Amino acid sequence: MRKKSILALIMAGCLAGLSLAGCSKGNNSTEADSTNSPEGKTKLKAIIVKHSLTKDVGEMKWLTELEEKANVEVEWQQISADWDQKKSALFASGEIPDLLFNATANSDFVQFNGLFEDLGPLIEQNAPNIQKMFSEHPELKTLATQNDGKIYGTPRYKGIWPASTASMFINKTWLDNLGLQVPTTWDELETVLVAFRDGDPNGNGDKTDEIPMDFNPIGWDFTPKLLLGSLGLPLSNGATDGYFTEGAQVKNFYVDERFKTLMQFLQKLYSQNLISKEVVTQDYSKYQSVARGSGATAKVGFTWGWETGDRFGNELKDQYITLPQLKQHADSTDELYWSNDYYYQNYGSNAVSISASSKNKEAAMRFIDAFYEPEVSLQVLFGGMNDTDKGIKDNGDGTYAILPPADASLDPGSWKWTNSFADNGPMYIADALKDKVTLGTDMQNVLKEKAVYEELISKADEKTNVYPQNFMKYSTEDTNILAMNQANINNITDQKWASWLTTKADIEKEWAAYVSSVNSSGLEQNLQIRQKAYEEYLANLK
Amino acid sequence: MKPAQTTLRGSGWLRKYAGHYQLWIMVLPAVIYIAIFCYGPMYGIQLAFREFDFSKGLTGGDWAGFKYFEQYFNSPMFWPTLRNTFIIAFFSILLGFPMPILLALVVNSIRSNRRKRILQTTVYMPYFISTVVLVALLQIMLSPTTGLLDGFLKALHLIPADTNLVGDPGAFVPVYVLSGIWQACGWNSIIFIAALSSVDGQQYDAARIDGANRWQTVWHVEIPAILPTIIILLIMNMGNILSVGFEKTFLMQNSLNKPVSEVISTYVFNVGVKSNQFSFGSAVGLFNTVINFTFLILANSLAKRTSKISLM
Repeated sequence: MRKKSILALIMAGCLAGLSLAGCSKGNNSTEADSTNSPEGKTKLKAIIVKHSLTKDVGEMKWLTELEEKANVEVEWQQISADWDQKKSALFASGEIPDLLFNATANSDFVQFNGLFEDLGPLIEQNAPNIQKMFSEHPELKTLATQNDGKIYGTPRYKGIWPASTASMFINKTWLDNLGLQVPTTWDELETVLVAFRDGDPNGNGDKTDEIPMDFNPIGWDFTPKLLLGSLGLPLSNGATDGYFTEGAQVKNFYVDERFKTLMQFLQKLYSQNLISKEVVTQDYSKYQSVARGSGATAKVGFTWGWETGDRFGNELKDQYITLPQLKQHADSTDELYWSNDYYYQNYGSNAVSISASSKNKEAAMRFIDAFYEPEVSLQVLFGGMNDTDKGIKDNGDGTYAILPPADASLDPGSWKWTNSFADNGPMYIADALKDKVTLGTDMQNVLKEKAVYEELISKADEKTNVYPQNFMKYSTEDTNILAMNQANINNITDQKWASWLTTKADIEKEWAAYVSSVNSSGLEQNLQIRQKAYEEYLANLK
Repeated sequence: MKPAQTTLRGSGWLRKYAGHYQLWIMVLPAVIYIAIFCYGPMYGIQLAFREFDFSKGLTGGDWAGFKYFEQYFNSPMFWPTLRNTFIIAFFSILLGFPMPILLALVVNSIRSNRRKRILQTTVYMPYFISTVVLVALLQIMLSPTTGLLDGFLKALHLIPADTNLVGDPGAFVPVYVLSGIWQACGWNSIIFIAALSSVDGQQYDAARIDGANRWQTVWHVEIPAILPTIIILLIMNMGNILSVGFEKTFLMQNSLNKPVSEVISTYVFNVGVKSNQFSFGSAVGLFNTVINFTFLILANSLAKRTSKISLM
């Protein structure tokens, strides 16, 4: 019995031990391998967080050429999924590669203090292209500079992307088949959706296969949160976690009266079976595939997305039109807005960071700087300018044309993401280059489609109603408080909109209790911290 | 086993243990393994009582005392996470624990070896499906629009037509528990089948002579034979009561079922790992472990008192 009990104790201890993840900080064992290859090139290790479509970066010829030119040999580690789950473990271990592409965030620099190199001095010594970028667009330097005046990640800038992420699409063919007008108010929209449900707008004889309305979970990009603009609420830059500014005040739409109005409207639509039953539970790939219908038969009537080709596929895209922002009722007097996402779409922070323990910081910086050379930046975004990559054609007279996909089965958007770093790469598309590039059909289409929102977007005042979240900087303490509170807030907001949408809950009655629980979960504190940072940002805005 | 060497001198203590040295050598690898991989990492527990500071390392941060525990107890997520964890664990044990025993009894009563093997292999199979694949399967089969199983259940009117099995908060626990039983039942029954195979054939003969029917044989011969196994396994299960499978819960979670699916382990992940709050995460994890340990001890002493079978 005695021996048995010792064993049992050990096992009990084991259970206790197992639940504690063993994240030990690696001791400073330096890499044993030499840092120079036989040909005298500097060897660098890099990690890149890329889009799930993006092919092996080793197959990108423009990149190989770039490494050649910078006289470095890069060993790539490529991550295409769940980076936010993997990164804490990697960073906490302290063993990171020399270069980190698209892998860091401002909060990492605060929480893993000392892990990343201050790039400021390196840029001054080794990076003429980045210097040029900073002098042409000083706000990019502001974006990259942390509270302590240091730069831990180089920014990216496109400038040619539209100022809105999401568009609202409606199936014009269906409207025509049913003899309906394009809706201009929420009320008209409801009538149209009911007609979509009851009729057979896609004309295949089956009255039940039409989904009148479909969208992503509220917090994402392609969602009815855009309809908050009907009620005079100015969203901007993705409104991550619900934050926006109005009259220079940071607010959160999840506790705004206008969000209540929106949820009541959506609940009414859902209860009439006008919204897809899987709207909350489906993932993005299912959301996309449903809207692509089957063959020439469209399935979805009204939805949100980036561009018609991307959202509905080549065969169905011509059935859909972009729907301008709706008024709530015909006699509503609310100011109309559309989310101003110019910074969100065109500016990015932390495209590349360098490890503080890297032995070849100069070479690493040289390599990074090479990406910011204008012609290279174009290739980062659209694919290589050579016969292997087939991304861009050099017209020889200083102008360039983005080539259509070499793989005919792909739409231009998917081709770009497959063929290059695309929007995740480090780049500076100088304004001087804008008029010299002929964009691909998808981008031309995007700009054309989104033109209907231009007037509403430009109405948002830069100094009061646009909230560029990536420009905000926070101290270590604030970063921790924000993260902690946000996790608790999301726990409430995430489930509440979903339950309101799909049940008959009395939103009016639950609203006050909901708002006070969100506020007491830390929202008030987060708004104060964010307000302080926003005011500092406004003070520096010229 | 009798001590092999009686000539050994020294204290009684030494003699007692040295006498079994062969056994000690056999257990040595396990002890080393546990010391290194289970006890070793436990120095990291102190993270729960310190302010994590990356630049100073895991054990270098300032002492924070019970700050992070208090933060968890005062957080609005304390009761919901604790309640959800308990509910899932309770039903998993209540329904999941007896099933393998029943299955083992059924398998044991099959005479034909071939049929027995076919049945056993069939019920083992799901165990080897990875959690990710299982949850993907569930999501496809139970989708309210295109799901095969969903359509089947609705056609038979076993569930109301407007139920969304992958979304409704009320459906989360049943789907979680039943799919868990489907997956692990066959595997967990192995140990009971093994215990049943050791029942002496004479006992069956004696029962038959006494005129026992099939039920009486199960009740008076087979159940008593595997009772120690059942109790030991139950005690060990109690020690895991709050360790609700992270992967499956996390994968099955969505905005709709979050009120019931946010358990301690997913909360630790969301706050501790995704938001880099390592100290807070460790504190919550440690709290979880302490509760588990308490349950283990309680179940053990209860079993000891009532049936004299226990781990220690």
